[in-house]
Parts: sequence; structure tokens; C-alpha cells
Amino acid sequence: MAVNPASDIREEDEAIGDDPILGYHALPGISDEMLDRDGQIRPVWQHLIDSLGHMSEAELHERFARADRYLRDAGVFYRSYGGQGSSERNWPISHIPVLIDGKEWEKVSAGLVQRAELMEKIVADIYGDNMLVREGILPPALIASNPEFLRPLVGVKPANGHYLHFCSFEIGRGPDGNWWVLADRTQAPSGAGFALENRVATTRAFSDIYGESHVHRLASFFGAFRNALQAHKKSPDDRIAVLTPGPANETYFEHAYIARYLGFMLLEGEDLTVVNDRVMVRTVAGLKPLGVLWRRLDASYADPLELNQNSHIGTPGMVQALRAGTVTIVNALGSGVLETRALLAFTPTICRRLLGEDLKLPSIATWWCGQKAERQHVADNFERMVIGPAYSCAPFFDDNGQSVLGTRRKGTKASIEEWLASEGNRLVGQEVVTLSTTPAYVDGRLRPRPMSLRVFAARTEKGWQIMPGGFARIGSGDDVAAIAMQAGGTAADVWIVSDRPVERQTLLPPEESFSRNMPGSLPSRAADNLYWLGRYIERAEGALRILRSWHMRYAESADPDQPLLADVTRYLKSIDMDMAKAVPEPLIRNIDSAIYSASNIRDRFSPDGWLALNDLAKTAKRFHEAVQAGDDAAHAMTVLLRKLAGFAGLVHENMYRFTGWRFLSIGRYLERGLHMTRLLGHMSGPDAPDGALDMLLEIGDSVMTHRRRYNVNTARLTVTDLLALDPLNPRSVLFQLNEIRTEVEQLPHPYGTGQMSALDREAMRLHSGLAVMTPEAMNEEIYRKLETEMEKLSDLIGQTYFG
Amino acid sequence: MLYDLSLHMGYVYDVPASGARHLLRVMPLSLTDRQRLIAGSLSVSPTADESGTFTDFFGQQTTSILFRGPHEALDIRMQARVQVDSTPLTADLSPELPKLGQELADLWSIDPDSPHHLAGPSPRLPNNPDIAAYARECARPGRTVREIAIALCARIHKEFKYDPEATTVDTSPREAFQLKRGVCQDFSHVMITALRSLGIPAGYVSGFLRTIPPPGKERLEGADAMHAWVRVWCGKAAGYIELDPTNNIPASSDHIVVGYGRDYSDVAPVIGVLKSYGSHRTVQAVDVIPVKG
Repeated sequence: MAVNPASDIREEDEAIGDDPILGYHALPGISDEMLDRDGQIRPVWQHLIDSLGHMSEAELHERFARADRYLRDAGVFYRSYGGQGSSERNWPISHIPVLIDGKEWEKVSAGLVQRAELMEKIVADIYGDNMLVREGILPPALIASNPEFLRPLVGVKPANGHYLHFCSFEIGRGPDGNWWVLADRTQAPSGAGFALENRVATTRAFSDIYGESHVHRLASFFGAFRNALQAHKKSPDDRIAVLTPGPANETYFEHAYIARYLGFMLLEGEDLTVVNDRVMVRTVAGLKPLGVLWRRLDASYADPLELNQNSHIGTPGMVQALRAGTVTIVNALGSGVLETRALLAFTPTICRRLLGEDLKLPSIATWWCGQKAERQHVADNFERMVIGPAYSCAPFFDDNGQSVLGTRRKGTKASIEEWLASEGNRLVGQEVVTLSTTPAYVDGRLRPRPMSLRVFAARTEKGWQIMPGGFARIGSGDDVAAIAMQAGGTAADVWIVSDRPVERQTLLPPEESFSRNMPGSLPSRAADNLYWLGRYIERAEGALRILRSWHMRYAESADPDQPLLADVTRYLKSIDMDMAKAVPEPLIRNIDSAIYSASNIRDRFSPDGWLALNDLAKTAKRFHEAVQAGDDAAHAMTVLLRKLAGFAGLVHENMYRFTGWRFLSIGRYLERGLHMTRLLGHMSGPDAPDGALDMLLEIGDSVMTHRRRYNVNTARLTVTDLLALDPLNPRSVLFQLNEIRTEVEQLPHPYGTGQMSALDREAMRLHSGLAVMTPEAMNEEIYRKLETEMEKLSDLIGQTYFG
Repeated sequence: MLYDLSLHMGYVYDVPASGARHLLRVMPLSLTDRQRLIAGSLSVSPTADESGTFTDFFGQQTTSILFRGPHEALDIRMQARVQVDSTPLTADLSPELPKLGQELADLWSIDPDSPHHLAGPSPRLPNNPDIAAYARECARPGRTVREIAIALCARIHKEFKYDPEATTVDTSPREAFQLKRGVCQDFSHVMITALRSLGIPAGYVSGFLRTIPPPGKERLEGADAMHAWVRVWCGKAAGYIELDPTNNIPASSDHIVVGYGRDYSDVAPVIGVLKSYGSHRTVQAVDVIPVKG
């Protein structure tokens, strides 16, 4: 395994007929997944390749488009960090799956089960007896200088007896055809959810071929893991949650996806608090105990008191709860120490010592330069080494270029020796591995591209299980370094193909064990975001309605100084709606705020709703740049209102009517009530300019109703009656207060004694106070008072449920 | 020496904290043949809603306290009686610097007292090339590890000015090194960074200093608050020595040890996470009074 990955993978340049499939050639000296050593198609690939060979290019493109459409509609994205901050990227699928023979996979699986067991024993020793160090197998410096060695966890035994529950391994095939382990991921491995989405997308493209091939399904793997986590709960009331660093994390989509797929809560550190050494979830129904936490957060951020003191996303007291043994964290805090690249140098020896057998799958040859003889070996062979940081947790081709090929580092053997001598403890040398290639569809034909596999292992009630599949990371060009998705690599589905029909299983339980789960308690933070999402959406709608009426009138008169227009401009200014542009900046910010709130609760949202909201924002931004005042703007507002109604409709039609929905609704009602109250206060007074009442009706979408109900010209009293006091008009203030009161009564009472809460009382008081009013009695002062009281009600909601 | 020791730390919050969790590390240690905690008590006001103690990785007694409700201030008071025996420096058994690395590598242990924990960078003390260059100037060939440590201690004491206004608890060793000013924490952090850059394991010691000097002696710097100094591993035979760069002396019976760690973050007397905005004011008072026995 000693070929430089950069130089030996070349494109075949000569044209090879019209057939994109048969023109595929493996590269000399490199293993290929599709072709064997003699250039023959491996049997498991035959059916796929035959089928592809019969497809026209147009059909192939149509199939790929189906997969792409699925990913887009499902909203699959990952976050990419570049020089200019971060951005969401579509999931980069490589449409041609990688096919692996089921028999061969059994061997790979056996090797990875052994490895997972080995990892468990190593981490138990590092945080327990330290036999490996004492016996001179594992150098102490490797542990003591390791940032993932978390001293507060030393001696803390996991509540359920195991440190590791879910791991992944990066494996690659070398030129000799054997598989090698390139990296172990034990901290908080990502990608299992992406593997699922990749599978769904790929089967959209090749549903027929997938159905005809005996491809192992993925669902049972997740089902077994979910059952295992459920078994760790100490009491049936304990919650299980996925702990995420939040929406800014590169794989947040996956955290939300996995939580939704397995039916767990999705929580952030601030959703949790530790009381009497127990981890509790802050919910709108009070604190609820948490039994199992599947963390996607790096361990050092989990507790700012005892771990990284700079963490703002952790839970103070988490380590205390672990010491008390009241919660299971998957994987245990501190298990990231196993990812250390330098540890790969010691796994063969450790395996013999701890398991009494050799590694079934070898690790990539690694030498830690903290040891004299090993350092010398790396220096002597630097031409075929990748040299990189010893404590890095990423494989050499995915560490943002921190690792360099010995030959690419300028200098002589002497200067490399000096480098290794001065920083030896912090460096490892790894033998360069030339990874196998697999077909990728590039420019109308199949071309060989380097690939590595990410494979997942889960501890289940029957021991370690390996996901039959995973995803393959495919390089974008000739360089192994470009396998990383951040560097333009793509991801392909992996099909493990059996020679006989496979078991089909979904996550649905068998019919007879049917039970209806009550929805879990809503975390306070999610409630907060839902409430504000409702408010921002409604705020945007209110502004849009006013702006549309304004521009319709401006289109007729073209005179912004006309009394009514000037008056409304003043009003808009009073609610911070700056009119410098026809589609104003504050409106855009409003929609962005709605998106921000929604982004914090993506696990509670249908992808359709999310797409609708983003589409609204995109359109609003485009209009902001281009639209002119007057007719153009009025039309633009109508378009935006329609899109907004589309989002609201999706939410209304599809969101489950439980606590979360109530908070969203209360937010909308409250904002709508505020909007109408302010407007009435400003525009329905005796000194309001001509046309103000008609405009009010228009903004309140009540022109027709008014005509039908009152049969007279618009007058102050009829407009007040309809927009303030009519209990049946869905735009009236009274209507909003009635809805708020009804919804508030349905909310959980966290510390309730059966009596009315302060919030119940206030909602009732506000509603009944307005219900007894007559149109004659309404005036600016009363509206102003009402506005203040509604704001207070909002504060009270926050204090009661979001604090 | 027998001491009666008292510590008061007070926090007043501009805006009441709506909840808080703290870890306190203020109780002196008991150390075989060196220091004995005869009696000690710790109290906090207001009364904590939850509290408990545990021993942390480096062996320090740690108290955790939790306040669920709003509070405007926090008072922490510790009192202790401690017997401290003098530990004068004995003959220098430390090797010359080039031999230290092998002695360290031959020590197959990551027990809490293992120098391996003190060899690499730690949360507050990353590698620093300027401090490393400064350290190399003290590491003349032929000097033993202990001689190098003592030379560094003397040099920092001589070239740095004791100035409580120049730095804060969050000042990095890089900044303190540029300023050549600071307090015991800064002096110690710079010295530890320097020693580690030479391959000499070094750690942070938090503790107290005798407040009133014996008759005829000068009052030591840092006696009016909690103090800090440096622990240096001088090889297998010599073990650890403790040097106080703020006063350029070896730790003596005037030094009372509270905790050992890699840097300040391991032994900070109070680490807290509180829900509050706005700032707070603090006071700290220390008395270390010899008991006539």
C-alpha cells in the first residue's frame, strides 16, 4: 500500500465509443469496486450495470432528477463552513450506488463488531484501571496530553455499564483488495441519518433495480438501536432525547431527522437542567426527568462547570448527574479520546492484549512520533507517509489540510527529522493508502473515483450490530484529499447485496402491539420559538396588508403627501416600518426572524412548511431589490400575502393539534390583536383623514362583510363594531382575545393546583373586559390601554412557560 | 506552623441572578509529611438549595452549590486550622535537561500525581513561542532541571512587576508576558508555560500565604487574597519542588496548599454559571494568622 494517491489516478482520455457504461476502466494498480482484477464486472454489479446499459442518457438524467428532487423536497442539507461564514448546502449525492457482496460484508461486519468491542474495552481501561498504561502498552503522554481525555469523568462508571453505544468507522479498500480501518468515530458519529436519506433518494432513482436486487434494508438496524435505548430507561416516565449543539451545527438537519425518525425529543443544552443530581427537561408542563441522552454534541461542551468553561451550549451539573449515575449518555462523555489518530498505532497490540486475538480488519499503518524508534521510521520513510496531528480525530483526507504528504512538505530528510524531533508528541505518520475506486457518473459517463465507506455500529440488546450499508464518500477528482465533502466530494448509497431474498422490515411495530403514544411534553425553548414564529408571521402579514392598501392608493394619486397616505406613513413609521423602499427592509427582517425561530424547531416542522417559508423570504428579498412604489408594489404585496397564506395553510392543515400548535396559534392571535388594536387607535378617531375607515376595512379584509351586515356607508361606529367588537369576525380584536383565552385554558399548568393560573385570569379578564364594551365607548385611550395589556399578557406567557 | 485561616469571598449582582450553580475549591488539603487540615468549615449565604462535596481528579475537595431562585448576592466563608511543616529544598537530585524526557517517558502512569498531566498544553496555557524563547535563555547547557526552574523563577521575579491593576483573572500568559506585569496567577502561568516549553512538567498550585510576616521579615506579596505558585517535576529521583515566582522563594511553611492542577482553570476557587445579565462586584479577604502553640 505505497502509492501516492495524488499521482496515480488518472483519467482515461481516449474516447471509448458511445456507451457510457462499457467504457469504464479500472485504473492500473488500484482496486475497483465494480471490476475485479481481470476487468470483469463483479457478479453483484451485473444487474445494475446491465440495466444502466439499456438506459438512454435522457432516462438516466430523469432518474437522477427524481433523486435530487426527493432530497430537495425533504430539505436535506448540511452546513458548510468557508471563509465567508457558513451556508446551507444541498446534500451532494453521487447517484450510482456502491454495491458490495453480502458474503464479503459478513467479514467486514465481523471485523467491525470486534473493533467496537475493543474500543469499549480501551475506553473502560482509560477511565478505569489504566492497565494499558501501567503495562507499557499505551504511552501515558498520549492520554494525558489528549484534549479529549476528560479528567472529571475518570472513575465515573456509565449508568448502564457501557461507554459506547453508537460508533462509526471509516474504512477503505487497498490495492490488495483488503479493507482497512482509516478512522474510528466514537465521540458523536454523524451520518447515519444521511445514510437513510441517501438510501431513499437512490431508490427513487433506481426503484426497479433496487426492488429486483436482494439489497439489505436499513430500518431494522435503527429499530434495534431504538429498542436498546428504550431499555436503558430506569422508569417508564423518563424521556429519551437527541442532544444537539443547535441549528448552527453542520449536521443539524440530521439531528432533527434522526429525532423525528426514532420519535425522540430534540434538545439543546439549555433545555436541560440538573436538579437533585437528575437531568430534567424544561417543558411547558414543568421539569420532566430525562433517562437517556443521545448526544451529537462534543463532550467537552456538555458541562461548562466541569468541562469546557467557555461552553455556552452545555448544561451546568451534567457531570454531577453522571457521577450520581442517574442518566445514560450515548456515547459516554470522554469516549472521544478513542478517535485520536495516534491510537491507531497501538490498536493491534492492544487487541492482542485485551481480546487475545488479532485485529480482523487492520488499522491503517500508523506511527506515533512521540516514540523514538517510531519517529525514526517515519523520517526514514517520509516519501510514503502522510504526516499529521496526533490528536486529530479526523482521518487524514478529511482534516482541512492539516496533514501533509511527506513528499509535499518542502525540505530534506534532515529537516523532516528535525520537525519530528521538536514536535514528535503531536505528530503521527501514516502510510499512504491508495483507496479503491468506484464508478461515479461524470460528464455523461462512468468514471472511476476514489472512495471510502462510513459504516455504523450500534449496541443493541443482542450485541453490536453493523448497519448493512452506510454511505460511501466519493472523491471529486484524482486526489484522495478531495473525498471530504467540504472539498467537493459526494456521497453514494451503499447496497449490500445478498444472493437470496432479504428480510423486509420497517420501523412500524407489528399490528398486535399497536399503542398510541401521547405526545411528549413540549420543551420550553421549542414553545418559545413556536410562539414567536406565530408572532413574526402575523406581524409580516399585518405590515403587508397595510403596505398593499397604501400602494394601491398611491398608484391612483401618485401623491405621498395626500393626507391619508401621509397619515398611514406616519403610522408605519411608528411601528418601525421604514418606507425607503417599496418592499421595506424591516419587513425582510421580520420574515428572517420567523425563519430563525422556525430553524430552531425544525424537527417539529414538515419540510413543506420550511420550504414555503424560505420561498417567501427569497421572493421578498427579490422584490426588495426591484419593486417600485405604486401598482408594482401593491401587486408584489399580494404575491407575498399569497405565499404567506400558503405557509399558514400548511401549518394549519398539517400540524398536530397539541401544545406546540397552541403556542404558535396564541402567537398569531396576539400579534393580530395588537395589529388591529393599534390600527383602530390610529385610524378610527374622529379626526382621522378622509378614507381612513374604508382603508381600515380593507386592511382588515372586511369590506364585503361590512357591506352585508350594515347596509350603510362606512361610519366610525360600524367599523369599530366590526373590527373591534364582533365576536365572529376572524380579524376583530375581540375574536383574537376569545381565541387566546380558549387556547390558554388548554395549556398545561406546570405547578398547577387546579386553580386558575395568573395567565388564565389575565386572558379571561382581557377578553371579558372588551366583550362588554360598546362601539360608542371605544376611543384612542382605550385602544392604547388595550395594547399595553396585550403586551403584558405576552410577557406573562413568557414568564409562565419560557423562563 | 499552626495557622488559623479565614477566607471571605463576596459577590453582589447588579441584576439579581435568577439561578446559579457553583463549584468551590477553597479548603486546604492534607498532605503527608507536609500539611494537615485539622478542622475546616465552609458556609455560603444565602443558603444553597442543594449542596454536595466530591473529590476532583487532582484530589481536591470540591463543593458544589445550587441556587434555584433569584438572589442578589453570594457570600462564601471558609475557616480552617492547618498545621504546616517546613519542606526545605534538599540536595539537587534532578538530572540535566536532556535526560528528563527519557525519565518521563519511563514513567508509565496517568495517576493524578503523574507529571504526564503537567507536560503538555492545558486549557489556559497553550504553547507560546515567545515564552519558549525566553525559557531557552535560562536553560544553559550543564544546568540541572532544578537549576533551570530556579533560574526561571528568579528571572520572572526580577523582570516582571507586581501590579494588580495590570491584569484580570482572565488575562492570558501571552498578554502578561508582553506586559511583564501582573499578579501571582500571571507569574505562575508564564513560568509554567516556560517550563513546559522546555519539556519540564509544571503545574499550578493554589493556596494561601501567611498574612503577617515573622518579626524582622518583609511582608510577602499576595497575602491579602488567595495565592498561587508553581509545582515543577524535576525527574524520578527528585520528584516535585514548589517555587513561588511572585516572591522568588521556594514554597515554605508560609505557603498553605489548597489545590493542584494544570493551570488556574483546574483550581479556580469559584467557578459559576449563573443566569443573570449585568455585572457584579466582588470582594475577597484573607487572614492567615499563626496560632501560638
